[in-house]
Amino acid sequence: MNPVTNNIILSVCLVIGLLGCSKEVEQSKTNKAADEPVVKQEVTGEQTKAVVLLRGLPTLNTVSSVAIVELDPESENFGAIISEFETPDINSNAPLHHLYYSPTGRLYATSLDPLCSLTEIGLIRDATGAPMITGVDCLDTGGQQVGEDIMWHSVNGTQYMFVTFMGGTGVDQADGGSIGVFDPQSNALIKIIQARKSQVAEGEPFIMYPHGISAFGDRMVVASTIHPDLATGVGNNIAIIDLNTFTPIQNIVVEDAKPVGFPSSPVEVLFVRPDIVKGAEPAVLVNTMFGFETWKVPYDETTKTFGSPVKLYDGVEQGTGVPLEFYGNESELFISHALPGVIKRYHLANLPELVTSGPDIAADPGAHHMIFYPTQSGRQVIAVQNNLLNLGNGADNDPTDIDFIAKVNAHTISVHDLATSERLATIDFKARYQKGIDNIEGLFGSGFIHHH
Amino acid sequence: MSKRVLPVILVIVSSLLLLGLAYSFFWPTAVRPTPLSAFTAPFVYGHFQIPADNPLTKEGVALGRLLFYDKRLSADNTVSCATCHLQRLAFTDGKARSVGVSGKELAFNSMSLANTLWGPQHFFWDGRAQSLEEQALIPIQHPDEMAQDLDQLIDELTADEHYLKLFRQAYGEINAKNIAFAIASFERTLVSANSKYDQFLRGELKLSADEELGRKLFMAHPDVKASLRGGNCIDCHSQFLTSGFNAKFDGFANNGLDSDSNLKPGLEKITKMKADRGKFKVPTLRNIALTAPYMHDGRFATLRQVLDHYDQGIKVSATLSPLIMEATNQPSDSEQLQISLNLSEDEKLAIIAFLHTLTDYTFIDNENFSNPFPIKRVPHE
Repeated sequence: MNPVTNNIILSVCLVIGLLGCSKEVEQSKTNKAADEPVVKQEVTGEQTKAVVLLRGLPTLNTVSSVAIVELDPESENFGAIISEFETPDINSNAPLHHLYYSPTGRLYATSLDPLCSLTEIGLIRDATGAPMITGVDCLDTGGQQVGEDIMWHSVNGTQYMFVTFMGGTGVDQADGGSIGVFDPQSNALIKIIQARKSQVAEGEPFIMYPHGISAFGDRMVVASTIHPDLATGVGNNIAIIDLNTFTPIQNIVVEDAKPVGFPSSPVEVLFVRPDIVKGAEPAVLVNTMFGFETWKVPYDETTKTFGSPVKLYDGVEQGTGVPLEFYGNESELFISHALPGVIKRYHLANLPELVTSGPDIAADPGAHHMIFYPTQSGRQVIAVQNNLLNLGNGADNDPTDIDFIAKVNAHTISVHDLATSERLATIDFKARYQKGIDNIEGLFGSGFIHHH
Repeated sequence: MSKRVLPVILVIVSSLLLLGLAYSFFWPTAVRPTPLSAFTAPFVYGHFQIPADNPLTKEGVALGRLLFYDKRLSADNTVSCATCHLQRLAFTDGKARSVGVSGKELAFNSMSLANTLWGPQHFFWDGRAQSLEEQALIPIQHPDEMAQDLDQLIDELTADEHYLKLFRQAYGEINAKNIAFAIASFERTLVSANSKYDQFLRGELKLSADEELGRKLFMAHPDVKASLRGGNCIDCHSQFLTSGFNAKFDGFANNGLDSDSNLKPGLEKITKMKADRGKFKVPTLRNIALTAPYMHDGRFATLRQVLDHYDQGIKVSATLSPLIMEATNQPSDSEQLQISLNLSEDEKLAIIAFLHTLTDYTFIDNENFSNPFPIKRVPHE
């Protein structure tokens, strides 16, 4: 085992203590945003199928894989795997992490494996029209490690693929972290945006452990989350990047109370902007993984200045923890909270304020990523992937799914009626396939239009 | 063994042998065509459905190709499917309206056969066929197209040993259903997926600045308030296949060619609904630079004329697509006397440049799609 991997694994053990206080950590992700039409799910008539990342569980002797599953609760095949591609060459303790479709329909996955932190997944149709996964290609990241989120965004008329690497150019760096700027056609690395705190002057803006990413015009926001070893350091701010120069220009601390005694660990961000909500006052929404809070950072488009952060949601007061993802459909914004495993829903039209739009969706512990789609009968549903953390603890041969993150890894996908939040069906991947479920994306469009 | 038993055994064995020979003669071997297992298609083109009773097989496709190019499918043996669907023109014929055995101009322009595997469902400009199998027999019997009597055709094909063998290998007997099945199977293999645009989608190349601008305009519905300029193409022509949408009759639209008084029935002929008057099938734009003239009646000779139509030539009618009606790149406070996209000259040229990236030269040069005649041992052609 290489030292880097060893470090990650050893560090995971340290987190056991952190999680032992019954508040949880996370890792997060997800998908899409573009300044041009994105892949439309109605194109294929395959809305009920999803791509998932399945994590092999060492004690159950299973191998991690990318799979296509049927998610229509009205189908006899509900929960069936249609196609599966195992990834034995990806570090089993640091597997593929988050899935994203590019605006041109190419499928990518970030990866926690330091040796393969960004991949492109091959898809094709067979003679019956069925989708097949043909392979997983590791891309050259220029040494950047531990890929998290991807966003496609145009800068001065040129589109780029931006990828956050929480490990920067080496997970051995205590204050590392970088944003890779890639050519969206060739996948070639164009630039590494990096500014380690230890290498910039005191008070100068820095980038550390970037994870969540969002952008509006020529301003990009990344969240400073946690060192990939989950022990060396925890962030408490968002970094603003000027896309005209690809340099950080400001750090904004997003932190209040410390319910678990650690920095707030901002994890996902969403730049609320007019193309999400017409006439919306621009602002950045931030979920803090250890702060259990959702914040709003106002943005003045004219002066290109950010205001003081305002706390919109307090998980300690509301009995929720580890807020993770933002997903929006045409009328609502959804925020996942890994503890106790719930999706909160808000009126999209009221953003950046959070105005409740419907009953909570009671998912399972680890509630994380989600997709929206109609069933065969036309019922609108949401599928929630319920697994918080997909790092393995290989050092003591004690798979993480069994012990310390068991509380926040249900290993399920729960499907709920979007109108009532009622649970319609559940797939227990651990019971059925002896694997964890780490990420979900619609096979061809996810029914969400706002994520980054 | 006794001498009395031996003859009995010989008789039984002989009888069994004769029975076996008779069975094999009168009961043809079950048809076991070879699945076209190596066939693949681009993921982004989306799901397609092949009828369960007509799966893609090597033998079925080969037979369909032969039939497609065989002039015996017409009454006077002068017209084949390929007469109006020339490979070098992406399986169109370059005429405003095709001409068949009767010598009369048909009602419609010849449609490209590229990517019919994905439908959209309802074939022909007016959607009168629900499947490729149904579609295949209609031109054969149409009095102005091929004017062939199906019984006569079956007799002609049955008289040809080569066809007897090919049908036996692919489907069994020669009948109208299997003729349709074979032609439909061949048509399903006519996949155009290697244009410059496809190579762009696969990340293999970049488009030129003009092509890229055209692509963005193609993919955008204009939104003046958001300062988003658009050519409004994607509202009808889907993102990857560039054909119409598949759900129900979503793949049909009235694109403003005629005013109410001149509207042709179009889809109304099939649905019997006035709301469908003047709606025609949204064709694929794959290889569009090769398939002039354009529209269901071939009224536009060039892509430039098509762009000018969408930009300044829309005629209002009761069933005009609302997506066309409201699409403009001009601020609403300006005086706008007619429906118009108000594209700039450069934008129109850019969209045309993008449309040229949809040309797939490997498609029009693919030997698997070409005329297989003359064939050895086949007396005709």
